[in-house]
Amino acid sequence: MSTFSIVVAVVSLILGALLALLTIPVLVWLERRIASLIQDRLGPNRTNIFGFRLGGVVQSFADVVKLLLKEEYYPSHINMGRWLFMLAPVITFVAALLAFMVIPFADTLMINGEALRVQALPVGFSLLWYLAIGAIGVLGVIFGGWLSHNKYALLGAARAGSMVISYELALGLSALAFVVTYDSVDFNAMVQWQSGVFWGVVPAWGILVQPVAAIILIVALFAETNRNPFTVAEGESEIVAGYMTEHTAMKFAMYFMGEYVAMNTASAVIITMIFGGYQLPWVSTETMLTHFSTFALALMVAIPLVVAVLIRWMRKNNTVRPTVSTDGGRGFETKVLSIALVVMTLFLEAVLLYLGFFAENLVANTIAVALFQVAVFVVKLMLFNIFFIIIRWTVPRFRYDQVQHLGWYYLLPLSLFNLLVTAIIVVGVTS
Amino acid sequence: MSSNIKVVTRHGNSLKDKLYLPAIYDGVKVTFKHLFDNVTDMNAIDTLEYPEEQPTDITSRYRGLHRLTHRADDTIACVACFMCATACPSNCIFIEAVDREDGVDEKMPKSFFIDTLECVFCGYCVEACPCDAIRMDTGIFSLTGNSREDFVMGKEQLLSHKGAFGEEVSCART
Repeated sequence: MSTFSIVVAVVSLILGALLALLTIPVLVWLERRIASLIQDRLGPNRTNIFGFRLGGVVQSFADVVKLLLKEEYYPSHINMGRWLFMLAPVITFVAALLAFMVIPFADTLMINGEALRVQALPVGFSLLWYLAIGAIGVLGVIFGGWLSHNKYALLGAARAGSMVISYELALGLSALAFVVTYDSVDFNAMVQWQSGVFWGVVPAWGILVQPVAAIILIVALFAETNRNPFTVAEGESEIVAGYMTEHTAMKFAMYFMGEYVAMNTASAVIITMIFGGYQLPWVSTETMLTHFSTFALALMVAIPLVVAVLIRWMRKNNTVRPTVSTDGGRGFETKVLSIALVVMTLFLEAVLLYLGFFAENLVANTIAVALFQVAVFVVKLMLFNIFFIIIRWTVPRFRYDQVQHLGWYYLLPLSLFNLLVTAIIVVGVTS
Repeated sequence: MSSNIKVVTRHGNSLKDKLYLPAIYDGVKVTFKHLFDNVTDMNAIDTLEYPEEQPTDITSRYRGLHRLTHRADDTIACVACFMCATACPSNCIFIEAVDREDGVDEKMPKSFFIDTLECVFCGYCVEACPCDAIRMDTGIFSLTGNSREDFVMGKEQLLSHKGAFGEEVSCART
């Protein structure tokens, strides 16, 4: 155990926790903002701290404060089951959170001959961990719905349970096709496999190598996370709020946040398994390390461009129409944020300049590449989360029987067939 | 088969429809276009920044907060006939009548209260009034207060409201 290994382990643990927990308010806000922008509205954009509204993301924190201060209400008929009634949302939340912990945020660091995983939970059986822990989340839903002694809650819980049974199969079988292709159950090995190319030019991303399995995986994960178009455990028009009908205040918030953590985890898994994880296409970790000065130069060009676009966007859109009497401090906020962004850019430029052209330090270069990969991962994660949200506000809900029909009659046979074909091809290629 | 029967073709049986993914792609194209347009130019979104921007499309037929009209000599037009209070479906108008001393008319209200928390803004009082003494043309659509009492409008307050559409004095009692 060197100092480096301890530092890397602690940093990746913190990174995992932050990425899972800090994305909740951002995702709740993103959901509301994107929904309203799709529907030609503005969405929450007013809550602010000292005039800093950051597009309205502060609203999520205000909501959490509200939920914390709400009355704790328990239906009188739950009697003895109260502890489980309280525990149920926690199970869902914690399961989703733990499942996120095996996602690799950057390639394995090679420092002084030591291989250090940048993974909150550095285990080699990541996919199995995800499938196992991810499936526990539904237990919280079932307990919560069952203990409520409410017909809607019970129906919602029963639906959630049957959904898991029908879609876990398709999910597991499509994941198995990937395991056969990548020859590993380790997420990090999967990403490394995907950083190559096939036919000379096409990046070997899972979605291009295994398109059918990729689509089944995405559909099954949409169903697993209980997102539209597969919201069966809760349905306004049929079973009110489903399993969380009787849950109030922070217990409701736990379910609510658990849903977003699950969505975030699903995005992370999809990215890791089929969209190249933390890698950019065509650029593997070794390429970046061997041509570090080129890489640094490219970043030094790209970062100011991105920041310039961001500042331009902010100056145009963080304003109000001329007919509005006051801009509510938006001008000031734009100014401060622009200055902060420029200072950050200058700092990054200086660091990259030093690392790329003056210092010949392999360890520092490795860390810089790893940080870049973390950034790539976060960007991809957010893009896929936005995709999740856009789908929710585009597609109408399936009826419950249609969902089951799709799962059993189409996805399950298709994934079985796909697994068979994959296995034949893999055996044919390797032997 | 009668020639009047129109056979409606059923959709959704082609392979493209059954795959469902092309339809999702089409849908996402529409939603993404809206999202992209609105993200790139947020101020073009046709919404009202409400407290800072006030609506400009309130018409003269809009039923806003009530007012009591004046005569040409600036005295109250109301003759305390209780027609409005009788017509009111939510019984929120409370009038106390008194003899009118200045000789302009026989009666006038001593007190005239409208409980706007009870009021449903149906406009029946305006319809019922024979003297054009009560109107709802103030254009006031937002009413706020700190206590229930703030929402009970008295005679002086109702008289102080101005008409928003040009007609100031009562058309029936000049």
